[in-house]
Amino acid sequence: MTETAHTEVVKPRGSMLKTAFSNQQVVLLLFLALMVAFFAWRNSIFWSQSVLSNVLNDWSPIVLVAIGETFVVIAGGIDLSIGSNIAMSGVVAALAMKSMTSSGWGQDITLIAGAAIAIGSGAIVGVVNALLVIKGKLVPFVATLATLSICKGLAVVWTKGGPVGGGPEKAIPFSNPTLWAFSKPMIVVFGIVAIAGLLLHLNRFGRYTFAIGSNSFAARAAGINVNRHLAKVYIMSGALAGFAGMFFYLRLSVGSPSTGIGKELDAVAAVVIGGVVLTGGIGKIMGTALGALMLATVASGLIIIGVEANYRDVVVGALIALAGIVQGVQKLNSRAS
Amino acid sequence: MNDEPLYEVRNISKHYGSVMALENASVFVRAGEVVGLVGDNGAGKSTLVKCLSGAHAPTSGSIFLDGVERHWSSPRAALEAGIETLYQDSGLATDLSVSANVFLGREEVKPGILGKLGFLAQKVMDEKAHADLERVGIAVPSSKRSVGQLSGGQRQAVAIGRAVAWASKVIILDEPTNHLGARQAGEVLQVIRRAKDNGLGVIFISHTLPHVLQVTDRIVVLRLGRVVRDAPTSDFDAESLLGTITGLNE
Repeated sequence: MTETAHTEVVKPRGSMLKTAFSNQQVVLLLFLALMVAFFAWRNSIFWSQSVLSNVLNDWSPIVLVAIGETFVVIAGGIDLSIGSNIAMSGVVAALAMKSMTSSGWGQDITLIAGAAIAIGSGAIVGVVNALLVIKGKLVPFVATLATLSICKGLAVVWTKGGPVGGGPEKAIPFSNPTLWAFSKPMIVVFGIVAIAGLLLHLNRFGRYTFAIGSNSFAARAAGINVNRHLAKVYIMSGALAGFAGMFFYLRLSVGSPSTGIGKELDAVAAVVIGGVVLTGGIGKIMGTALGALMLATVASGLIIIGVEANYRDVVVGALIALAGIVQGVQKLNSRAS
Repeated sequence: MNDEPLYEVRNISKHYGSVMALENASVFVRAGEVVGLVGDNGAGKSTLVKCLSGAHAPTSGSIFLDGVERHWSSPRAALEAGIETLYQDSGLATDLSVSANVFLGREEVKPGILGKLGFLAQKVMDEKAHADLERVGIAVPSSKRSVGQLSGGQRQAVAIGRAVAWASKVIILDEPTNHLGARQAGEVLQVIRRAKDNGLGVIFISHTLPHVLQVTDRIVVLRLGRVVRDAPTSDFDAESLLGTITGLNE
């Protein structure tokens, strides 16, 4: 079609500023900078290493599950089970580490085994989600709502409702900052975020994830094994939730059935604020990471400037709505061009 | 044109539960031949396309490529055998770039360990996609642009270009001129002629009878799941073709 070049879609004209604003990451960074400036202005303590460390401690488990959610949502699904999966996996790992400790295992090996068990238990939930969606033909919302409830229930049943301690004493010091404001588990989280970014944006795995969310029929027609890929995505989301469970354990030194409950909403919020479109096919890891950082910043910031902590959810809700509006405007702009 | 059938389905039937979509249909295409597949809505064209492309397995009947019987377990198996299908309206992932669509399922990876880990050679694919589309006679502005930003005609061009660029034996085009303006449709027909000249077997499904009469060598008419006529295009004119499709000629 040699002449179709005449009907070429022209890029929206306008200043660089306008182009920059149409990039959700730039808007997010600006917003985040404004937020930090505001909190620091109201209380200078906000601008300190310990607060940063605290914010990143809140950020880490959110971003872990939000990354899993990013892959799932871009592939056209949703994973609601991640919050309860955190609780269940954390509890399973805590029970295992307790019994290992009482039977005299070394602390390091116990922590390593605990991490493996948490990740493995989370991944099993991912397998169940994948089976329900692919073999059971349930819509992802219902499938993962079912596993949300199951995990939540099991976490309580297995612990009789109380926190499980008695694990390695090293856990909490392990979570203290070692490198400036960063703790070792945090550094692992940074690594995971970076790898997820490479996987989503530069790797075949990410390409298939986008393709399936954008048009699963086209993906199948192009020879992609859609079901197998979706299974991988759900299992990855589950495994990351399991790792988030271990992160909480390291921080608190107990596995509690209430830890992580409701975190699926934080994950979805981070994903939406970060510019992932819930109908699939569009999203960026950087957006999700910034979205999660925004949630963590609001939580600490409001406490530090002396606003009642419960206002956090109000602010988060407003941010979600705002992100939705920004996305809508961007969509209109790209259509109009 | 070689007289031996290149790709052939013999006596295939397809039932969906109690619904019979195809009954004992036989269709073939030779190398360098364009076969038109026409029929009213519900005649079984889409079902036949899905059997030909490997998307559905027929309930009974057999499939031959180069005289060898084949069973497609998935569209991938048919693709790997050199059979490309352009599906009506739904063949592209619109959030992906032109080159990502051209290479979908066949991505090129970086050399060495990075490639083994699945890291994509994006630049190489961008350039090759552009060259591939130009080779089949399609000029798309930029292969990095997302398909969702292209016009309907350009999207269709990309889908056809992808199919023609990858096909080594047979190309199946399901309503490729749908929603296109006259000039763009003419360009699509040009691409079909070029594919034929390159020795591909082309199966062209369309409701637009003038296009079918213009570009095909032979026409197969389906009605209610059966093949009711298989004859050279020169045997038909617009009126007789329409009559055969609707059954008013009998």
